[in-house]
Amino acid sequence: MTNNKLTVSHAPFWHDGDSLFQMNLNIMIATLPAVIFGIIQFGAPAVGVLALSLSSAMVWELILNIISKKKISIGDLDSAVIGLLFGMMLPATSPWWLVVIGTFVAVVIGKMIFGGIGANPFNPALVGMAFLMLSWKVFFDFDAAYINYEFDFTALAPLAALKFQGASEVAGLFSTGDLIMGKQVGAIGSTFGLGLIIGGIYLILRGYIRWEIPVSFIAGIIITALAFKMANPDTYAGPMLHLFSGYTLIGAFFLATENSSSPVNRIPMLIYGFFAALMIILMRNIGAYADGTILAILLLNLVNPLIDTIRPKALGKGVNNA
Amino acid sequence: MIKRSFFTLTKPRLEYDLVEPDPKEPKQIPIPSNLTLLLNEPIDSTRQALIKKGDAVEKGEKLRLYNQSTEYTISPVTGTIDAIDAYSDDFGNTSTYLVIKNDQSQASQKEPITYDLKDDIASADEYFRTLPGAPPLKILASDDVKINTIVITCADMDLLSTTSQYITLKFLDDIKEGAKILKKITHVPKLCIIIPEGLNIQGGFDSIQVFKTSMEYPSNLPAMILKDHLSMILPAGKTPEDVGVSFISAEAVVSLANAYKTKSAGFEKILTVIGKQGTQYRVKATIGTPLHKILNAFSVHINEQDRIVIGGPMKGFATYTRHHPVQPDMDTVMIQDRDIIPELSDNPCVNCGKCIRICPVNVPVNVLVRYLEADQYEEAADRYDLESCIECGLCAYTCTARIPLYQYIRLGKHELFKLRALETAND
Repeated sequence: MTNNKLTVSHAPFWHDGDSLFQMNLNIMIATLPAVIFGIIQFGAPAVGVLALSLSSAMVWELILNIISKKKISIGDLDSAVIGLLFGMMLPATSPWWLVVIGTFVAVVIGKMIFGGIGANPFNPALVGMAFLMLSWKVFFDFDAAYINYEFDFTALAPLAALKFQGASEVAGLFSTGDLIMGKQVGAIGSTFGLGLIIGGIYLILRGYIRWEIPVSFIAGIIITALAFKMANPDTYAGPMLHLFSGYTLIGAFFLATENSSSPVNRIPMLIYGFFAALMIILMRNIGAYADGTILAILLLNLVNPLIDTIRPKALGKGVNNA
Repeated sequence: MIKRSFFTLTKPRLEYDLVEPDPKEPKQIPIPSNLTLLLNEPIDSTRQALIKKGDAVEKGEKLRLYNQSTEYTISPVTGTIDAIDAYSDDFGNTSTYLVIKNDQSQASQKEPITYDLKDDIASADEYFRTLPGAPPLKILASDDVKINTIVITCADMDLLSTTSQYITLKFLDDIKEGAKILKKITHVPKLCIIIPEGLNIQGGFDSIQVFKTSMEYPSNLPAMILKDHLSMILPAGKTPEDVGVSFISAEAVVSLANAYKTKSAGFEKILTVIGKQGTQYRVKATIGTPLHKILNAFSVHINEQDRIVIGGPMKGFATYTRHHPVQPDMDTVMIQDRDIIPELSDNPCVNCGKCIRICPVNVPVNVLVRYLEADQYEEAADRYDLESCIECGLCAYTCTARIPLYQYIRLGKHELFKLRALETAND
């Protein structure tokens, strides 16, 4: 009889087969409808921005891995997702250095210095975006960015138009159908509402994002925007314009749902999604920014640890009667 | 292995296996020439042992290490003691193993020793602790613990296992008989029985209360049974025995009935063996039989780096040797090929929340694991419900980052007990 060595490990001896690689790959697959549409809409420059963003994000993580003498961790695709989402939020005409600086801030400052995957208190892609938007505001003027393009629809960034011209002026310019089908000016991956919704629903069905967050987020947009519109229909636009323009949908399905900066218990998730949306509409309607999605979600990332303490009581905790 | 389904909007559902409608007789494994028995007491070299290598033992003879020992084992064969040595389990607890050389010439025919039995629990505890199914007689006989409810479990604790269900189908009358004996010797006021809802039982249990448990894992675990059927919430860190409930397996009840009938101990344990392809075999083997004898009987070949799991896929443990003996409480043996052993990782938690959704008792696993990784056991218990965990293993099954969560929790509890024992000693 041979006495070969056996594998000894601990229970459970089964696993459902899921992994970080699978999860991140699925998130990337889910972005495809919106990404492909963006490439068709904005042409080769969009491909360049996305490719540079995705690859530079991975390279930054690789460099950090090497400097900090840690295991190479880019294989889990986490920074690929950060890079891809980051690229989707940029205009197609962004210069190369803007992309590289942005992914540096996103991956290095947003994620790696906190300890890498799972340790970031803020959504890394949003940290990068916030940095760029505050530093080089001019590149995020979508009307100026696409000055050399010719579109067969209203070539005005809806939220900027809304901000500077008022709801009564823009009322006839953007039909909801056009906005959903991506006939608007905006960032590469954020204009095609239908594609983002399809991707989001795919992720919800696959269980890779938690449905409570996008659902309460969208509900928050609709309810808050409706409340503003009812208060003053001349100044404030309706919920549909807010929902299908700017970063709203990419925020609902891809940004607010980032795992480590969002809550996991049910009631906190509903609060988180709703208040993120509420903050967005507040910023858009009475704040200084045309689109407050980035800062609103970052703000809710900040309060996430606090609201996530609302959780059901564990079995047998605090029971002394038995 | 049950993989994640393509659509997983809600948490995955794991179901207990149901025994086949008309189960075949188990395959009888012949009594091997060497049997290994485990004795739950460490060797103390400063004391004079009662047994030593070369001693003759009889079938049914009670074996103890020392005069004051309360732990014992019963020899399943007539033969001689071939070895006595120390054994340590995966948490470093030491005990003793005995190897008994089977005297082939007369052993198998010989009737076991009969005992002088009285109708009380002390007398049963004197001889029947190591019956197949491992009846919890030590606890029932103890003066420190007051048991007022006994639950007979005809449902299997872990996935894939069908041993208890098989016994329920085949030996229903013995279960009823054993229940009567239990009631008579223990005088517990309440006796109930749990049966999986999918299992069809002919006839009822006249005076015993029957609860049907759901087929969804982990509804058969003691804490869940207390909650769902006995309307008791198990306080964090307590065992069911602490709240006066003792669980006894169907097989233990059957063995008790037989033992009282013959006034001697039984040694044949029924096991479910799960081969590499998931094929189920049912086996009847003598306690102490090394596992490789059973595996050889079904020509299950064990290669380098395969895994032998004792107990089921969720709660079992892996053994390091193919000589591991059949024990009284061993219901299931599962063999995993090296190619299907899931890979674990040292990734940190990414907070995906799957463990929160699946945890049946609302433990905040995502935060808990951060404390356990940092060795903050007291904090983990006080604020993050370490002791509420019922050890079902579902969090680790579903973990996206493939963190060995269940092992972290078990280790955390182990370290916590050590810390507390130290504190008590210091006081």
